Amino acid sequence: MTETFNSPESSINGTLAELVEKTEALTALLISRHGICLGQAGGGAKLNATALAALVAGMFSATKEVANIVGEEQFSILLQQGEKRHIHISLIGEKSMMVIVFEDYSRIGRVRLAAKKSSPALVRLINKNRKDTTNAIQDISIPDFKEYALNLIDRIFVIGEEEDASP
Amino acid sequence: MPHLDLNNKQLVFKIVYFGPGMSGKTTNLLFIHKKIFDKYKGDMIILDTEEERTLFFDFFPVSLGSVQGFALKIHLYTIPGQVYYEASRRIILEGADGVVFVADSKVDRLDDNVDMYKRMIENLDSFGVDLDTFPIVLQYNKRDFDEIIPLGKIENILELPEDLLVTESVATSGAGVMKTLQLISKEVIRNFQLD
Repeated sequence: MTETFNSPESSINGTLAELVEKTEALTALLISRHGICLGQAGGGAKLNATALAALVAGMFSATKEVANIVGEEQFSILLQQGEKRHIHISLIGEKSMMVIVFEDYSRIGRVRLAAKKSSPALVRLINKNRKDTTNAIQDISIPDFKEYALNLIDRIFVIGEEEDASP
Repeated sequence: MPHLDLNNKQLVFKIVYFGPGMSGKTTNLLFIHKKIFDKYKGDMIILDTEEERTLFFDFFPVSLGSVQGFALKIHLYTIPGQVYYEASRRIILEGADGVVFVADSKVDRLDDNVDMYKRMIENLDSFGVDLDTFPIVLQYNKRDFDEIIPLGKIENILELPEDLLVTESVATSGAGVMKTLQLISKEVIRNFQLD
């Protein structure tokens, strides 16, 4: 089973950009439940999006376990309040989440509202993109893909002289 | 279940290093991170406690290059090995395309290895993974110790398939680490299919 997304930046990133503009947030990201960054807008915070996606996905899943312990299926919103910067994380559909990084905490109401409003559009885009991708991936030649990928692994994961571990 | 993103033209595979506490999972990842050229790797995240035991996970991404117009990436994760972090382990294991089981070769850790391997299989099974085809490499780590578990012992106890890929390693020196990574990565690629 292949988890597929086709996220046209003009759409998902456009939606995120609109949200950033409305809330004056630093940045907004869409992240898959498995920790992959699907879209990003706003350059106000220079972030390592790959690392952030992995960490937030883990954090959200951990929180789901906490929710189960207290008798909830899951918490749909997480809020992290810092001294200068804050993070609002909300579930988008069943497999994605949106991260909004902002500075002025008095804007929390606006952030929350904008996140809620943009959620249906993002869910729609994610679903549409999944269908588009399913159609488009048929173009990939699996045998060729595998052969080339195996060569890359040989080239990059180099086995050195230290490699014999037999006692 | 690799993540295919057509717009960003990338295909991401997830490999998880599993095993009992203190078996050398983080040490494996640290060596790999040191060994791979900068242009192929991202920053490494280590979430550990004051006792240097993994609290949640370690992680770093590897960009292998472009295949048929797609950026091919592998995300490497470790899990926390302590028994009481079962929930964290499940979270990280979910969505994995392949697993390296890092066994501690010290004879007094045999039961821990067996117990943790069982937990891993139970978790994979609960995710609906096809265990007959799912890529797993069993890595006997710490082969530099005097009294070590002989190869085959864990497989015999757990009645694991005869064709299971097995490696030996000393992760602190790096011996066997890249070989293990090569094996699991290739198995993951060979197992890749569109459906």
